[in-house]
Amino acid sequence: MEDRKEVQNLKLRIKYFGFSLVIGTFRAVSKFSFKFENIKELVSRCYYYFKIWLLMSKNSFIVMLEQKKLFFLFLLGKVLRFGFFILFLVFLVKGTENLAGYNSNQVIFFFLTFNLVDIVSQFLFREVYRFRPLLVSGDFDLVMTKPMNALFRVLMGGADVIDFITIPPLLIVLAIVGGGLNPNFFQIFSYLIFIINSLMIAAAFHILVLAFGIITLEIDHVIWIYRDLTNLGRFPVDIYRQPIQGILTYLIPVGIMMTFPVKAMLGLISSWGILFSFSLGILMVILSIKLWNRALKSYTSASS
Amino acid sequence: MFQIFLVFFLWDTIFANSQRIVFGYDRQKMLTYIFGLIIVRALVLSSKANEVGGDISRGDIINLLLKPISYVKYWLTRDLSSKGINLIFAVFETILLYFILRPDFFLQGNILLLLSFATSIVLAILIYFLLLFTIGLVPFWVPESAWGISFLMLVVVEFLSGALFPLDILPVSVQSIINFTPFPYLLFFPLQIYLGKVGTLIMLRGIGVSFLWLGVLWLLMRSVWFKGLKSYQAYGR
Repeated sequence: MEDRKEVQNLKLRIKYFGFSLVIGTFRAVSKFSFKFENIKELVSRCYYYFKIWLLMSKNSFIVMLEQKKLFFLFLLGKVLRFGFFILFLVFLVKGTENLAGYNSNQVIFFFLTFNLVDIVSQFLFREVYRFRPLLVSGDFDLVMTKPMNALFRVLMGGADVIDFITIPPLLIVLAIVGGGLNPNFFQIFSYLIFIINSLMIAAAFHILVLAFGIITLEIDHVIWIYRDLTNLGRFPVDIYRQPIQGILTYLIPVGIMMTFPVKAMLGLISSWGILFSFSLGILMVILSIKLWNRALKSYTSASS
Repeated sequence: MFQIFLVFFLWDTIFANSQRIVFGYDRQKMLTYIFGLIIVRALVLSSKANEVGGDISRGDIINLLLKPISYVKYWLTRDLSSKGINLIFAVFETILLYFILRPDFFLQGNILLLLSFATSIVLAILIYFLLLFTIGLVPFWVPESAWGISFLMLVVVEFLSGALFPLDILPVSVQSIINFTPFPYLLFFPLQIYLGKVGTLIMLRGIGVSFLWLGVLWLLMRSVWFKGLKSYQAYGR
């Protein structure tokens, strides 16, 4: 009886937290007012940054492709790791019949979705892994003097060609396995929107790592903690016991990033869940940018 | 530590019904396998020999070649000392996780099995050292491959040694192919001995195969090492 009361209390607290979060997000978003006459300028700015991104990505690809043997070894390693894990899942679910109520196709789709979010975010934000040398050498000064946003440069300045190559086959496998789940148009649409939300949360995490890096010069370990945490989303978060499941869903939103897109595709997310997830995604991006701006003020350009 | 969380809860979900037996494991033995991995990994897979490749490709190897010490023994010593440090952390980690997760443990009481377990661990440590050391010699010919080849090796070892899941969940045909490689003798086989899941004959055969791999890898390492030394030019030094 008391256990039931505790669970109800916990649910109420989570709902209250979620409600506050949604309200907070609306307040934060309302501060960013757009003027319609500026939309043209916004589009031209986006195009300007897209051209810069293409140029920086091209340079990054050339550097990586220069070391063909290394490139081949890493590509082979990533493909093997992916293949081994899929094999493991197939045999695991075959032997156990289901995992937390999901059948083998669904479990594989969870894993593929985890890979999609993980690989796309690594492809886009690989430059974060190279931020520390820029900071400790003082070369970050040179980034800030250029006529572009410094955050954009250190966040997206070095797309990873290995991840880029692995994305198309992954999308094909996702389409094949996802097709087997017989989703309707709305479910596919929800899935795609949730993937965008996951990438927004991933971007926010990477920006937080960069900001933390400026303040403490500690980047490598923090980014690996983030990677380890997101790895907990290889399987649906339903496998974890409470309160770990709650923490992974709402506090460290691995569940929202990796599990919710598939749940949306399977029609298992309530409208409240959708509202909460997107509010959290938007709020995390806003807060991470605010923290980045604050961290920039504490940058002392030491050693340059 | 997070990976242990993932694997623990994965099997915890599968064994939600504590009477269930899956792939020949009951809940207690599977969770012992997962927790045993922390200690055995710290002993076997924590290794300094994965830095040999970088040492060669950067040219730092010449500093040690000029000293009156054996390069192989130098790395073996570093390897063993790093295992000592890792073991301390692993024990601390296991105690912490035990209090958080409160799993059922299977304690092996058979002295013979415990001695065989210890023997298989010693063999696994030496096999892994020789594997990493031999792979680390590739930069004698392809200097830029040091990092990539270590990564590839780690991926293969992670899956084929049983670090992520017990290998007996795989079909028997796949298992018999893997058993021809040295990888299952690194983690999976020692843990099988501890859990008492192998008969005396299979245990002796496994230890024999480990000795065989040790000999093969020792000869391979020596051959590659001497060939590498002959081709090494220490340019830029």
